[in-house]
Amino acid sequence: MANLVIENVKKSYGNTEILKGINISIKTGEFLILVGPSGCGKSTLMNSIAGLEDVTEGRILIADKDVTYTTPKDRDIAMVFQSYALYPNMTVEQNISFGLEMRKVPKEERQAEVQRVAEMLQISHLLNRKPAQLSGGQRQRVAMGRALARRPQLYLFDEPLSNLDAKLRVEMRTEIKKLHQKLGTTIVYVTHDQIEAMTLADRIAVMKDGEVQQLGTPQEIYDNPANLFVAGFMGSPAMNFIPAKVISQDGKPMLELATTSNVALPFPKQEALEAHIGKTVLLGLRPEMITEPQPHKEGQPFVTTTEVEVEVTEPMGADTMILTRVSDAEINCRSNPMYPAEAGSIIKMMFDTSKAVVFDQSTGQRLDK
Amino acid sequence: MSKVNSVNIKPIGRKTSALDKVLRVALYTVLITVAAFYLVPFIVMLITSLKDVEEIRTGTLLSLPSSLNFDSWVKAWSGACTGSSCGGISPYFLNSFQIVLPAVLISTLLGAINGYVISLWKFRGSDLFFAALLIGCFIPFQVILLPMARTLGWLGIANTTTGLVFVHVVYGVAFTTLFFRNFYQSIPGELVKAARLDGAGFFTIFYRIILPVSTPIIVVTVIWQFTQIWNDFLFGVAFSGFETQPVTVALNNLVNTSFGGKEYNVDMAAAIIAALPTLLVYIFAGKYFVRGLTAGAVKG
Repeated sequence: MANLVIENVKKSYGNTEILKGINISIKTGEFLILVGPSGCGKSTLMNSIAGLEDVTEGRILIADKDVTYTTPKDRDIAMVFQSYALYPNMTVEQNISFGLEMRKVPKEERQAEVQRVAEMLQISHLLNRKPAQLSGGQRQRVAMGRALARRPQLYLFDEPLSNLDAKLRVEMRTEIKKLHQKLGTTIVYVTHDQIEAMTLADRIAVMKDGEVQQLGTPQEIYDNPANLFVAGFMGSPAMNFIPAKVISQDGKPMLELATTSNVALPFPKQEALEAHIGKTVLLGLRPEMITEPQPHKEGQPFVTTTEVEVEVTEPMGADTMILTRVSDAEINCRSNPMYPAEAGSIIKMMFDTSKAVVFDQSTGQRLDK
Repeated sequence: MSKVNSVNIKPIGRKTSALDKVLRVALYTVLITVAAFYLVPFIVMLITSLKDVEEIRTGTLLSLPSSLNFDSWVKAWSGACTGSSCGGISPYFLNSFQIVLPAVLISTLLGAINGYVISLWKFRGSDLFFAALLIGCFIPFQVILLPMARTLGWLGIANTTTGLVFVHVVYGVAFTTLFFRNFYQSIPGELVKAARLDGAGFFTIFYRIILPVSTPIIVVTVIWQFTQIWNDFLFGVAFSGFETQPVTVALNNLVNTSFGGKEYNVDMAAAIIAALPTLLVYIFAGKYFVRGLTAGAVKG
């Protein structure tokens, strides 16, 4: 168990910069998730932590020890790969104990360790099989067992659930979370699945183009995104971005949108808008903040009811997503399935701007921080 | 729905018309003819080797021997004259093994390590290195005869078995590397990464993880190299000494050496003996050869 510090790490291939100065520090026992679209550098960062790739600049510290130039085997880390990377010629037992064997652990201890891990992951009955005789979920467990057996200081997970089918993925996700809670291990976990990121992480680092866009708890990232990219990447369906004109009404800055008519919405952080009066900004509003009129919210300070035209409805069971158009932007609203909304009809919807955020239209940066 | 379907479904059966039967007979006739065409030379060799000289002179090429007579085989093996020595081709047969076995083993091992490095331990310029190595597959034998003779002389291994092994290894490495590299290309790099994190080094990974999954391509490479080196004549004739000639060279000498009448039966027996090892390799390992060549083409 150890902490991990990544200090100003840069990596380039020739003239292409893959990592542009990454700074992340995680505490002992923390579960960090690196998330981002493909090509954002998250796997490169992972390989750099593991020592499988050299960094061009910067330092990496594990347990307060500089390991920037240490070989992978001396960093005392274990990694679970997307393809599982099980040794095809070895049985499950040999796969799990290989790392221990390489570290010259005596045979009895190795066997005891294999038993412990196998019981923990419920794979005791598979120990004599070869990887080819296992199902995807079983291979996944063996891969985790191999990592657990060594009791390393740091665990790295490189998209470990991407190759599983949807149902198994959810199961294994819960299992990994339980395992983390039980063992209190330090984990760095790469994924491109934002739901995985939200559900598993203590903290999330959202990456894009070799830079960390935001580092924070899942709730911080969800409620308080640093910029347009983070806001759009996290959350499903994605946050709505509505071009809104900042106007002054009774001395207060308001956000004017065009639904069926023009409507002005109040905004909690008025001082942030004052400098932008007369300009157009992007209003970020999560789908669950645009709902059917809810009587108990009526009269609350940042709630506005207005009429919109329904374009499409998507019933999802628990909710119905209503697609509409506001200020020429396509908007997702989350409404009660009982609320009558027919395509083409005009209905009342309630806009709750108490958690709304605004972005600069051209740079995508948050304006109300 | 089901009613409509049942009406539309036509019975799919094999109704063989008279024309089909004729075509089938024609097909087999062609196949048998072609097979026979390829087999005839061997059959001629075999029956000629079992006749005595008198019978060969009086009978036709395809007439069967009157009795099974293995004298010519014995003579070819231990009594026929190749040049000035008359000990048959057996010493040269052993020479060939002494050349082929080490050459096959060394070139296969080197190819495996090369392929392992080029596929799984990529370094700066490794692709260029591989491309350069591939050129080795296209250099005609004749081109390197003189430079190789100088090199062997300089190394002090001219006219020796060691020298011939060296030549075959050098010439074979390009092919063996190509085979192994292509095979290892289908092995995920994550396997090596996982092993490195587990604490295994370069050779441990090769020996414990990569080699055990390489059986198909090892079989292909061994068969290929064995056939190539066993059948080689040019290097054998150019770089061997009198004592170290491979069987192909001895066979040539045997056929060209005659006192009085030509002993076709002995020539044929010697030729079959010389070809026997490669023939056996194909018969016993041929199916692995085909399997190995296609391994990796389809992801398993």
